[in-house]
Amino acid sequence: MAKETPLLPVEDAREMALFFVVGALCFLAALATLSAKSTYGAARSWTAEVEGELTVSLPDADRRGAESARKLIEATEGVKEARLLSKAEIDALLEPNFGSRGLPESLPLPQLIAVTAEPDAQFIGPTLERRLTEAGFANAVDEHADWAGDVRRMLAIARLVALTAVALLASTAVAVIAFATHAALLARRDIVDVLHLAGARDRYIAGLFERRFWLLGLRAGAVGALLALGAAAAMIFAVHSSGARTGLLPELSLDFQDLLILVLTPVIAGLAARIAARVTVIRSLKSVM
Amino acid sequence: MTLSRHDLFDDVAVRLDGVSLRYDTSEDILSGIDLVLKPGSFSFLTGASGAGKTSLLKLLYLALKPSQGEVSLFGRPTSRLTRDQLSALRRRVGVVFQEFRLLDHLTAYENVALPLRVLGRKESTYRSDVEELLAWVGLGERMHARPPTLSGGEQQRVAIARAVVTQPDILIADEPTGNVDPEMGSRLMRLFLELNKRRATTVIIATHDLGLVRQVEAPVFRLQHGLLVQDVEYGPVARRRTDIAKAAE
Repeated sequence: MAKETPLLPVEDAREMALFFVVGALCFLAALATLSAKSTYGAARSWTAEVEGELTVSLPDADRRGAESARKLIEATEGVKEARLLSKAEIDALLEPNFGSRGLPESLPLPQLIAVTAEPDAQFIGPTLERRLTEAGFANAVDEHADWAGDVRRMLAIARLVALTAVALLASTAVAVIAFATHAALLARRDIVDVLHLAGARDRYIAGLFERRFWLLGLRAGAVGALLALGAAAAMIFAVHSSGARTGLLPELSLDFQDLLILVLTPVIAGLAARIAARVTVIRSLKSVM
Repeated sequence: MTLSRHDLFDDVAVRLDGVSLRYDTSEDILSGIDLVLKPGSFSFLTGASGAGKTSLLKLLYLALKPSQGEVSLFGRPTSRLTRDQLSALRRRVGVVFQEFRLLDHLTAYENVALPLRVLGRKESTYRSDVEELLAWVGLGERMHARPPTLSGGEQQRVAIARAVVTQPDILIADEPTGNVDPEMGSRLMRLFLELNKRRATTVIIATHDLGLVRQVEAPVFRLQHGLLVQDVEYGPVARRRTDIAKAAE
């Protein structure tokens, strides 16, 4: 005997449309999740690099004076390391603004000292400022932590936006599937009635729709996830192959967690579809005897 | 609650107590219906078109809730049962719908096997029974045809086979011979009678076909203006009266 025909007939046109919508939503949700995760990683990476870093600028000091200041700084409690930047390093820092030909010798440049604080040191910036001033050095202390705080706040907002997008896309997918299930239920009322009167329990009938939409969610989610993987890979390839500066994109890569997100996307889509179908069918059946 | 075959021996298979039915705000379709069908009984339901025969049958096969009164099957008031318990009761009721209600995407074989599939039975356990039943109703050669390719009479026979395939305790048929020739009609009636006699299946048949009614010595209920009356013109009492008159002549 041939394989049993499914009790719910396949409805090509309607299911193709739903497949497309769920696939597109899964694609967007997967990309948004990858972005949220990437943003989170970037925030951690950037802030970890600059936390505890300070730059002391001495506008009036010569190399010898700067070296004295460096020793003073290094002797300060809470300072792990203080390093006087060479002329070449200062030139490199200014290169984006003044070009690669080098700076005129006559141009007055401040001496710069890169300071690394101990991890648990507090208020190190004001302390250094006070001690240098007391020692007669005109100075400006730039605490990178201030900048890191701004970056963290900005990235937290970006992350929140990305997560909101994921939540909205997921709930849209569930709503679309619930709507589609309801439409399928109405379109197949004849089958549901016959099954119902043949003694099929609500969960048996719901199970037919659940299986149908679970598979649809799973397949559409897989297609969406694959497209998201392609889009992410293309983006990474484009950034890396263009030779552009990627210093601001430290987490733009695909790691195990990213792949896990992509693998989970169809499973979550399938489960959401299944639950939406079940709730819709059970609710609808309760309206009949 | 577990429903078993022993319930067949309850005093009453079907009981309607003061049952009324109305759709939305319209007038009562059925009004104050009292009906008792004993297990193993065979009855006819007649009445003019629109008299409410199909509505009454819907109440019996638990597709509708009465607006008033109580419908009990096998001694169980259905208004007090859970959804799962109602499903269990429905499995004991076979229904031949007037409009057949076959599933167009399934073959005749699959349509007949549907109630067994719902029960969760494996195909290998019922294949020969279903094939035999289809052969018996004259569709052995057409078991793989789908309903849209079957004639009205063939569809009706598939619907009847589906209703009896589980050997239900109650068989409800709405105009079951409306689309078949007299010979097939008689044959289907013999099937209903056989089920009634061999398995003590309670059978109630709604029909316009008075010829069919005359074939069987069985009580006839008639719906008139929403009320149910026992018909004396046809059925056993009338038949006995006719026989006495003939003997007197």
